[in-house]
Amino acid sequence: MSSVKQSVTWDLQLRQLLLTKLGQEASECEDSLAIDTETCRFAVADGATEAFDARRWAERLAQNWVQREATLTLEEFRVWVAAEGRELQESWNGLSLSWYSEEKARAGSFAAFVGVELDLGTDAPSWKAIALGDTCLLHCRNGALVKGLPLSHSESFNTAPILVASDSTLHESSMRSVAIESGSCESGDVLLLMSDAAAAWYLKGLENGARDLFDTKGDEELSRFFDEERLAGRIRNDDLAIIRIEIKERRVG
Amino acid sequence: MYSAQITRANPTCIILLIDQSGSMADPFSGDSARKKSDFVAEVVNHTLHDLVIRCTKTEEVRNYYHVSVIGYGRSVGSCFSGPLSARPIVPIAEVADYPLQVKSSYKRVSDGAGGWVEIPVRYPVWIHPSSDGKTPMCEALGKAKEILERWLYEHPRGFPPTVLHLTDGESSDGDPNDIGRQIMSLATDDGAVLLFNCHISTRRSAKIEYPTDERSLPDGFARSLFAISSRLPTNFLAAAAQLGVNAAEGSRGFVFNGDPSSIVQFYEIGTSLTGMTPYRWMDDRTETA
Repeated sequence: MSSVKQSVTWDLQLRQLLLTKLGQEASECEDSLAIDTETCRFAVADGATEAFDARRWAERLAQNWVQREATLTLEEFRVWVAAEGRELQESWNGLSLSWYSEEKARAGSFAAFVGVELDLGTDAPSWKAIALGDTCLLHCRNGALVKGLPLSHSESFNTAPILVASDSTLHESSMRSVAIESGSCESGDVLLLMSDAAAAWYLKGLENGARDLFDTKGDEELSRFFDEERLAGRIRNDDLAIIRIEIKERRVG
Repeated sequence: MYSAQITRANPTCIILLIDQSGSMADPFSGDSARKKSDFVAEVVNHTLHDLVIRCTKTEEVRNYYHVSVIGYGRSVGSCFSGPLSARPIVPIAEVADYPLQVKSSYKRVSDGAGGWVEIPVRYPVWIHPSSDGKTPMCEALGKAKEILERWLYEHPRGFPPTVLHLTDGESSDGDPNDIGRQIMSLATDDGAVLLFNCHISTRRSAKIEYPTDERSLPDGFARSLFAISSRLPTNFLAAAAQLGVNAAEGSRGFVFNGDPSSIVQFYEIGTSLTGMTPYRWMDDRTETA
């Protein structure tokens, strides 16, 4: 009788949600999310409400980051952000701007950012993430928080986080606040990438003993649920970007 | 209370009430070169600039604020000129589009690496200094009340209006207590109208900023203004703390014998509203999401 060696592969169950602040048009949403299942990279960025061209800056950060292979060390991230920021700001050249837009553009654009890369090529999957600002990665197991990056408590959210600036002259100070972390996963673990209002709400729920707060809802039901939560003031009325990644083991052979 | 989100559907209202009586032509003590009226006009223009910038979304200014600037001295009325002059209150997007002039200059900012760079800046001007006549404070507060009543009829919900009143002397048309209290009794569903008062002085007297009670006040005039100064809501206290201003729970929006720095801080705290980021922070090169 011969023994059959079982190998383990890992499936990802993905959900994503992008909701505009109540009372605003979808075209005004300044949150952005990006998923690339080839690179196994996921990102959420939240453009600063008061910044110039914040929507495009957030989109650029999230969409371009997931297609890269580096940028998970501080130095790589700094070089990459500087190049992206330069391209963004160059796109403003030649615009005929009013005095107030000119003033705003001079300060550059700003966004909060979190990106995570999964390594599923081993028996023990792992993740590595980078974040600046108050968009968060929450690693949950059995409904409890294993790790939060860069914030892990609901009361840690304030109105003035250090953000990813398009103007590289600001990076000397801002890049000191970049958080880089890694972790290992088990089957059934959930990784959540969330912009600030959703992350603060989710963490508060966990602190109050709730478990996975939206795993059983369908997409439409989930959208309605978040609208109601924002209307009731339990979630701050803000754009919401959420990526939920559930990691499942599959035995083969 | 004082927690409503400021949106285009539910904007808030800011009234700047400025003493333009003859005594405003006097200099601050210890600064004989600078007239009070010149300095106040400069700070008001800067405040309007900041309000516009806070509402600027790339190439659009969103009407989160409706603004009125009323001067009182020889006459009582709007300080705006040109297309804005006939309007008692103006949405901020129109304020943005109609400065009297936009001056260009340079300012030094940190280059982020320990050095400095000069960058071009624009200084829009909406109001010019003025100093003439008596101090018809009651009439001016009455004008503010009239504007507020009409505005509140159309905007009963949302963050309550803020009136920032600056004066350098006693009222020449009676005790402002009654009309001040009438203003403070107006409200939206999010709280009563906020009336803050800043008294500035030519004399070298000790300034009193954001007191919690009357005990430190020197005379009846100071007590009268204290009585018609609203308590600073929590978000305004946070703004004061960020500026290093000593204000505590129960502090009134009131400054007595203020100096130039008091005026700047008074407008910064008074327009901090629901914790919206002061533009000053952007100068410090951080930003919020």
